[in-house]
Amino acid sequence: MIEVEHLSKSYRGIEAVSNLSFRVERGQVVGFLGPNGAGKSTTLRILAGFLGASSGRVRIAGFDIVDERLQALRQIGYMPETSPLYPEMKVREYLAFRAELKGVARTKRRVEIARCLELARVSEMAGVPIGHLSKGYRQRVGLADALLNSPPLLILDEPTAGLDPNQIREVRALIATLAEEHTVLVSTHILSEVEASCSRAVVIAKGRLVAVGSIDEIRGRGRPELTLVLRGTEALVRATLSGLDGIASATVEVHGDTLRAKAILTAEDDAALGEATERIVRALAQADVGVREVRTTTATLEEVFATLTRDDMNSATTDEAAP
Amino acid sequence: MRGLWPIFKREVFAHFVTPLAWVAMTAFLLIQGLHFFLIVQHFAGQLDLSADAGPVQTYFGQTMMLYLPLLFVCPVLTMRLFAEERRSGTIEPLLTAPIETAGVVLGKYLAVVLIYAAMWLPTLLYMLLLSRYGEVDWHVVASGYLAVLAIGAGYLAIGTMTSALAKSQLAAALTSAMAIIGLFMIGVGEFIFPEGIGRDIAGHVSAWAQMNDFSRGIIDSRRLVFDATVVVLPLFITVRAVDAWRLE
Ligand SMILES: Nc1ncnc2c1ncn2[C@@H]1O[C@H](COP(=O)(O)OP(=O)(O)OP(=O)(O)O)[C@@H](O)[C@H]1O
Ligand SMILES: [Mg+2]
Repeated sequence: MIEVEHLSKSYRGIEAVSNLSFRVERGQVVGFLGPNGAGKSTTLRILAGFLGASSGRVRIAGFDIVDERLQALRQIGYMPETSPLYPEMKVREYLAFRAELKGVARTKRRVEIARCLELARVSEMAGVPIGHLSKGYRQRVGLADALLNSPPLLILDEPTAGLDPNQIREVRALIATLAEEHTVLVSTHILSEVEASCSRAVVIAKGRLVAVGSIDEIRGRGRPELTLVLRGTEALVRATLSGLDGIASATVEVHGDTLRAKAILTAEDDAALGEATERIVRALAQADVGVREVRTTTATLEEVFATLTRDDMNSATTDEAAP
Repeated sequence: MRGLWPIFKREVFAHFVTPLAWVAMTAFLLIQGLHFFLIVQHFAGQLDLSADAGPVQTYFGQTMMLYLPLLFVCPVLTMRLFAEERRSGTIEPLLTAPIETAGVVLGKYLAVVLIYAAMWLPTLLYMLLLSRYGEVDWHVVASGYLAVLAIGAGYLAIGTMTSALAKSQLAAALTSAMAIIGLFMIGVGEFIFPEGIGRDIAGHVSAWAQMNDFSRGIIDSRRLVFDATVVVLPLFITVRAVDAWRLE
C-alpha cells in the first residue's frame, strides 16, 4: 500500500529525513514511532503529498505521489499533526466542504458525513463553530475528515495528542476497528499506543530508520534477562557463569545469605531463551550452587525503544520520547 | 476543474464573516456615495449637458475618486486568500485533498471577483436615480462597469499572487498595493513622458485613460487584452508558487 524508497528531505540544508525505506502492506496497522524531532511529521507530510522529497520516491497503492498525484491522493485520508481547521465554519459545514473536495457524490454526502461524525464521536458537536471546540474535539473533527469517502489508506499524525485518557482509549479502539477496512499508518511517540493498536511498527530516530517489523520482532531486538536467587559463594557463581555460552554480561550481588545474579542473554527467541536458561541452571546445580528462584524477563517495548533511539542523542529527548 | 466550486463557495462565505472585509466595503460605498453626491451637486447648476460630459461620464471617467478606493479595497479583499491559510496551517488539509492547484487558485480568485462585483452593485442605484431625473445612456453605463470590472479583476489577480508569495497578510496587502500603485503610476507616465514609445506604452496600460475611454462608451479591445494579461499572468504565477511550496 505504501512503498518508500530512499526518501530524504532537507530543510535549507538541514537533513530531517535521510535515506528512509520501508513498506506498508494492505490491511496492516503500522505504528510510526520516533522521539520528538525524529522526522515523523516530515515523512508523513511527504507521504500525504504535502511536501516534496529532496530525493527518493513514494508510491501509494502503486501510484507515484509526484507523477500520479491525484490518483495517489484519492487513496489517502490524511490527518495532519495539529488538525488545522477553519474556525469560522461549523463542524458539519466543514465536513460538507471536505466531502465535496474529496468528490463524495452530492446524494451520498449527508449519510457519509453522519457516518464519519459518528465514528469520530463528534456528532453532538455538528452544529458548533470549530473555533469554539476544545482541542480534543478539533482532533476528532480532523479524524472525521480523514475518514470521509472511506479511503483505503489512513495516515494519521499523532491522532491522540492533546486528548484526555478516556478519549485516547476511544481513539485507540477506533483505530482497531478501522483496521478491518483500512490500512493505517499512525505516528506517535507513546509506546503503549503502538502496543495497543498496531500490529507492526516503523521506528525512526534522527531521520533514520532504526527498526521495522512486527511489535514482537521489535521487542525481540532487546536482550532477555535472567534473574537468579542463589545460595553459594560469590566466587563460585562468577566462575560458573563466566564459563557458559549465551551470556552477554552478568552481575552478582550479595543479599544477606543469598546471592542475586542477573544475566543478560544473547538468545533471540523464546526457544533459545528456554534452552539457555536450562543450561545455566544445570551448570549451577552441578557446581553445587543452590538455585532458589529463576525469573526470565524480556525487554519491554519501551526499553527497546530507548536503546534503539538513544544513540548519540541527549537523554532529555529520549526521556520525553519514552515516558 | 476539481475543487474550484467548493473552494469558491467557502471563500465567499469566509469573506462575509471577516470584519475587515465589511469595513473595507462600507468605506468603499461611503466614498462612492460621496463621490456621486459631489458630481450631482456639480451638475445641478448646469442646464445644458453635452453628451460627452454628463454625470455618468464624469463618475466613471473624469475623477480619481472612482479608482483610488480600488488601491486599498483590492489588497484588503485578497490579502487573506493564501497568507491566512499558511499562517493557520489549513493549507495542509487543503493541498492534500485530491484536487488540482489551479482549482484552488481559481476558486479563491473568482470568489473575490464576485465580492468585488457585489461591492459595486449598490452604485447601480445612482444610475437609476439619475435616470429618473434625466437621460442616462445605458451603453455608457455598461461600458463604464465593464472597465471597472476589467481593471479590478487585474488588481485582484495581483493581490491573489502576493497573498501566495508573502508570508503574512500584512505583507501581502502592502506588496499588492505597491504593485497596483506602480501599475497606476506607469499609466500616469502618459502625461509625463515625452512623445515616443514610452508614452505610447504608458497610455496603453493606463487605467486612467481606459476609464476615460470606456466612460464615453469607447470599448477598445486592446485595452481588454491588456487587462486579461494582468489577470492571467499573476494567476499563473500563483499556481506555480503554490506548487513550489512543496519543494521548500
Ligand atoms: N518547516 C520546517 N523548516 C525547517 N525545519 C523543519 C521544518 N519542519 C520540521 N523541521 C525540522 O525537521 C526535523 C524533524 O521534524 P518533524 O516535525 O518531522 O519531527 P517529528 O518526528 O514529527 O517530531 P514530533 O514528535 O515533535 O512531532 C526537526 O529537527 C525539525 O526542527
Ligand atoms: Mg510530528
